[in-house]
Amino acid sequence: MKLQATIRGVTYTFSSVREVLAKANPPKSGDDLAGLSAREPVERVAARATLAQLTLADLRANPVVPYELDELTRLVEDNLDEGAYAAVKHLTVGQFREWLLEPKTTGAVLRSVAPGLTPEMAAAACKLMSNLDLMVVGAKCEVVVRCNNTLGLAGTLSSRLQPNHPTDDVEGILYSAREGLSYGCGDAVIGINPATDTPESTAEILRAIHTLRTRNGIPTQQCVLSHVTVQMKALDLDCPMDLMFQSFSGTEAGNRAFGINVSLMDEAYDKMRRLKNSAGPNFMYFETGQGNALSSDAHHGADQVTLEARCYGFARRFKPFLVNTVVGFIGPEYLEDGPQITRAGLEDHFMGKLMGLPMGCDACFTYHAKMSQDELESLKVLLGAAGCTYLMSMPVGDDIMLNYQSTSFHDVPTVRSLVRKAPAPEFDAWLASVGISSGHTPGPRLGDVSVLR
Amino acid sequence: MSLRPLSRTRDLVAQLRRQLGEDDPMPPRAPLPPVELPPQRVFPSPSRRSRLADLAAAHTTALVGIGSVGTRYATDVVLQFQAELAVAHGAVATELPEEWAVAQGYVSLGSRVTSHREFLLRPDLGRRLAPESAERWAATCRKEVDVQPILADGLSAVATQGAGPALMSAFIAECEKRGFSTGTPVCARHARVWLEDEIGELARAKVAVILLGERPGLGTGDGLSAYLVYGPKVGNTDGQRNMMSNIHNRGTPPVDAARRLAVMAQLMLEQKTSGVHLDLSPRAAELGEAARGGYRAPQVRTRLVEG
Repeated sequence: MKLQATIRGVTYTFSSVREVLAKANPPKSGDDLAGLSAREPVERVAARATLAQLTLADLRANPVVPYELDELTRLVEDNLDEGAYAAVKHLTVGQFREWLLEPKTTGAVLRSVAPGLTPEMAAAACKLMSNLDLMVVGAKCEVVVRCNNTLGLAGTLSSRLQPNHPTDDVEGILYSAREGLSYGCGDAVIGINPATDTPESTAEILRAIHTLRTRNGIPTQQCVLSHVTVQMKALDLDCPMDLMFQSFSGTEAGNRAFGINVSLMDEAYDKMRRLKNSAGPNFMYFETGQGNALSSDAHHGADQVTLEARCYGFARRFKPFLVNTVVGFIGPEYLEDGPQITRAGLEDHFMGKLMGLPMGCDACFTYHAKMSQDELESLKVLLGAAGCTYLMSMPVGDDIMLNYQSTSFHDVPTVRSLVRKAPAPEFDAWLASVGISSGHTPGPRLGDVSVLR
Repeated sequence: MSLRPLSRTRDLVAQLRRQLGEDDPMPPRAPLPPVELPPQRVFPSPSRRSRLADLAAAHTTALVGIGSVGTRYATDVVLQFQAELAVAHGAVATELPEEWAVAQGYVSLGSRVTSHREFLLRPDLGRRLAPESAERWAATCRKEVDVQPILADGLSAVATQGAGPALMSAFIAECEKRGFSTGTPVCARHARVWLEDEIGELARAKVAVILLGERPGLGTGDGLSAYLVYGPKVGNTDGQRNMMSNIHNRGTPPVDAARRLAVMAQLMLEQKTSGVHLDLSPRAAELGEAARGGYRAPQVRTRLVEG
């Protein structure tokens, strides 16, 4: 294993695979904050050249957090599909990138290989790819999941309806939810981030959305994004929970800061399997985002792209219905501006899909990040073209509780018509039956809440 | 021999061009229909908004019932949105003038941050005092106080300069009313929440309270947040703090906030702890909604573009 490369007569030597992975990243303010970035652009390319020569076997042997120190590393190592791994382990990262881009490497092939890939392998390929590379491979991946409806089929683009309210006023939540449905949003989930993290309010909101959904016969699912331990208690209150939610970090220490670990999630998964309201084999929902490990000082000297991939290594254990990266939410100290947020959204989508997850993306910015509304709108189209499973949606893209800017109700039908993608088929049939839209085409009742009872 | 396939291709191309129409690839222009005025769009201006928007406004500040043009916003909505975005971005970009703190009668301190961009990108530097500030503060501040009040810019210097001084003096008055000794009033520039630890530690204060501009939301750059900690010292974490957000006239007015913050400080002095270990229930009545922890007062959405 050679950890050096020479460019124009200058030899760059790296001390570890972890350092190579970090320095191969495109510029990110979070890697600067952690002191991990390449010192100058040529060193960055030298790190990529070094990475391109490492084999996937080298990456498996050198996880960025040691096996002894971290349960996520152990989880990935102990559960890796040896057959799938054996098929690709001899490839260098450079060859792996080309293999991924080959037309004959189809979505079906990628699906077979996914369980043999470690997060470090997905992250390594990502670092050698341009934005278009990431989109090409992301668009090839086939990840189809089923809860009350079916997400991720070819030619579809779904959306989470996010009718948050600063005081959990249920009527207020319902006004936003109805408005969103009337624009064809919400086939991935109607999901509310609660202001009050209690089992009772979680149950109350779930019941209200469930009533709206059943009264109108809308084939989707509801979820309240309280802490997983709160949702476990809410399940005892006999409430209609279709999806169970939790935020993930890429290290054991990062997850400790979130108040979770693998055995707690196993317990939560098992309880949900027994008490859930939904149909179908997929019923978990996870959110991630570059930088969250560093924000709790739990990054072990690893870069934020690799740590993000490690979230997906954790998530795939639970065959989730939804995973999304809340890409610009964390703030400019991790992703400074439009180009960094755009890049990170495409990276996360690619890595998650490659590892076999139904990846969505909350294309968003906080108001202290340097991203324009035009740049944010462009990212939504890029994600739509890259085969992103779902986007978010809220009134004018404005989350009135979390105070950030995301996808709007209007953006979802807009992107669908531009990239010619339809909602989930069951949901599409409901939209067509009430005249809101059909496939990627807006219908006569688009935006008309009077279609809802 | 090699010419035959080429000439066949040439024939094919010529034939295709004839089929597609030799000269103009576009059909004749359609006759122009009369251009009518678009229908009046609905948007929450009191005079002309939809019934739906009216009903919704009683429950939420979310912009619903705004209609659409195709799948996009009406011009009116676009302008309102852009105005709200500009207000938020303007608040983030505004820096607290260096001389402002002294003009208000505060001791002026600075963090280790040296520029606005660095402030946004390096939270670690915003959590520690510049060496010169630390020395000056340690040498001159009132020591061994019950409560150390700190005003700071945070992510909105607009909010700090707006309701900041009123909140600061109301809070100090509420503390004195309860018989607490208060520290030298101080204002910190390029400050993050955790800066309260070093400022409070140097003053050997029992409780430190930092009042700072919160991250702006759409159309709202004037909100202040308050973070309180018992036993301020460098290295404290978020679990040791209590907070109150959304302090402005459309949320929790400064006078109410000052009273509730003083009650929280009182609980900390009584229980000698803060954060997750602090029990707010003994004074829940005085705290009102703040006792519920994550409460954010509702706010009214104001129309920014008037005409």
